[in-house]
Amino acid sequence: MMKQKMDYLTFIIAGIRNKPGRNLATVFCFAFIAANIFSAQFLFAGTVMNVDQGISRMGADHLVVASQYTAHLRGSENAPENTIAIVKVEPSLFRFNANIMEKIGKVPGVSNMSPQLYVATLDLPSLSPAPVDIFGIDPPTDFTIQPWLQTPMKNPPGPGEVIIGSEISGEVSTQITVPGHTYTIAGRLDPTQSTVDHTVFLRLDDAYTLAASEGIVPPSAPRISPGDVNAVLVQVKHGADTDMVKSRIQQPFSYSYIKVIQRHFALDPVSQEVQGLSSLLNMISMVVVIAAVPLIALIAAMVAHERQREIGLLKSMGAKRNVIFFLVIAESLVLAVIGGTVGVGASLVGFFLLNTKGFFNSAFQVSLRMPANAEIGFMAVMALSVVIAIGSIASLYPAYRCSMMNPYDAIRSEEQ
Amino acid sequence: MIEIIGVTKSFSTTSSEVVAVNDVYLEVKPGEYILILGRSGSGKSTLLGMLSGLIRPTAGTIRMNGMDIGNLSDDKISELRAKEIGFVFQFSGLIPTITALENVLLPTLFCPDGPGSRSRAVELLKKVGLSERADAYPRTLSSGEMKRVAIARALINRPSLLIADEPTGDLDVDTEIEIMELFKDLNREGTTIIMVTHNPDLAPYASRTFGMDHGKLVKNPESFCSRTWRLEPSVHSDKGI
Repeated sequence: MMKQKMDYLTFIIAGIRNKPGRNLATVFCFAFIAANIFSAQFLFAGTVMNVDQGISRMGADHLVVASQYTAHLRGSENAPENTIAIVKVEPSLFRFNANIMEKIGKVPGVSNMSPQLYVATLDLPSLSPAPVDIFGIDPPTDFTIQPWLQTPMKNPPGPGEVIIGSEISGEVSTQITVPGHTYTIAGRLDPTQSTVDHTVFLRLDDAYTLAASEGIVPPSAPRISPGDVNAVLVQVKHGADTDMVKSRIQQPFSYSYIKVIQRHFALDPVSQEVQGLSSLLNMISMVVVIAAVPLIALIAAMVAHERQREIGLLKSMGAKRNVIFFLVIAESLVLAVIGGTVGVGASLVGFFLLNTKGFFNSAFQVSLRMPANAEIGFMAVMALSVVIAIGSIASLYPAYRCSMMNPYDAIRSEEQ
Repeated sequence: MIEIIGVTKSFSTTSSEVVAVNDVYLEVKPGEYILILGRSGSGKSTLLGMLSGLIRPTAGTIRMNGMDIGNLSDDKISELRAKEIGFVFQFSGLIPTITALENVLLPTLFCPDGPGSRSRAVELLKKVGLSERADAYPRTLSSGEMKRVAIARALINRPSLLIADEPTGDLDVDTEIEIMELFKDLNREGTTIIMVTHNPDLAPYASRTFGMDHGKLVKNPESFCSRTWRLEPSVHSDKGI
């Protein structure tokens, strides 16, 4: 049904259409601010959530690793890389003997534990264009890899059977060859968006056999002896105090031999890495905001000055001061909403494309996981709220000046 | 009923004080058509500005239907303008980014409970002979058409008073006559009109004509105007001054 009266939105939009170039610049300004704010939040939430989800799915509350591993981890130079290595259970050359599991198993509060061994990273173009990691797991106790299986297996992999990552070529029940050894694919994992996707998981005994073969472990790396493992993943009983369990696991061992790493510890350096970028974006946002407020205020003041006669006319038609104030603010708000929406939308598309192209994986060694829609919505609302606040604050004074304008002087402004 | 009682308006400049309107008395009854003649700078527009509440008098009182508009708050004056006063300026005063119809509808924004509506806007455009140009933007309209849209806009909320400041100032003679006929029709329908102009040829359209000179309202415009006036005595009245 056609509206019987004039409505404010029509009038405001008409005002915006009047100066497309200048308003486009204002929209761009708002879009830039919104994009920065949204990106900072999105990047942080997306990457941390990815890591967090990965660890949660791994199901481990603690990682027991060789102490050199954590020393290496804390080293400033290689810290991020190795931190990611822990999170993704990626290669490490620091090992210890799996017999410690006996003691760990007796610690009150431990519900499950499973060892993992990194054997080697090999170039196997027939299996994957990317280097393939070879890992040994203990299928009967494993609770970290098998939950990722596309189709659950009736029985754990037997001798000569492997589980492959989602990016490894080969169908279930077919065979793959790792130099000198042939294995049957028992299962395939879901994509994890990590190096797990390019990994072949052998049984531990098969891993020791493979490691002993010529040309698998590089001559520079320490020899892998049966019983060696890189990590023991520990799951704590529901309701148990994880800190207490951690202390109890560590207690019988020297700190120079093993270290127990809690899940959150593994997250921290990742968070720092991402937080660095996130903070940078926040800082850029702040600078942009500081620069934008006076700029937008100036634009609003220019608009107000140019439209003096129009404002005088509106007053002569009966527009009250608060209406004039509202019209000036509303025009700025409409531009802020348009700019904010464009900025958030562009960021979202940008993140999606960059993630698809693997930018985050190569730049930060993390995959970006799209946050839940509700979370994206919340971040978008946050970014929009900030630009709306900027738009309002910046146009407050011009709006006030317009509302206080003497209508008669305003009408005659162009005659003077 | 409008009563102007001893109204003065002066403006301060850096060096002196300029008295634009000086001790003016006038009474306008409902349905009257008042024409105020005068040269540029004689104070006509300032008087209209005070009548519409756009300018506050320095001294004196302006009463509209018993209300002293000089003492009303800014919001109350705005409300009064929205409901009771239609203003036509010398320049068209149309908003360039909205159509003729939307321009006519514009005052309804400020008088949401008033009689203004889309159908009335269409009707008014028809009345001013522009029903075919309802969707045209001001830049595509001629000066006369723009002025007629402005008149339609001034009438959208059915004001009891129409104030016109040199409404035919920049128009050709034919358009001027069209507009004056339109005003005459509106006046016949009961709208009170107060119009200022510097064109004495328009005097016959009004029920009463006054002159303005150096801020003073005078009964006989001929006394200060160099032109030969062709005023018809029949339309003059001695009332009200």
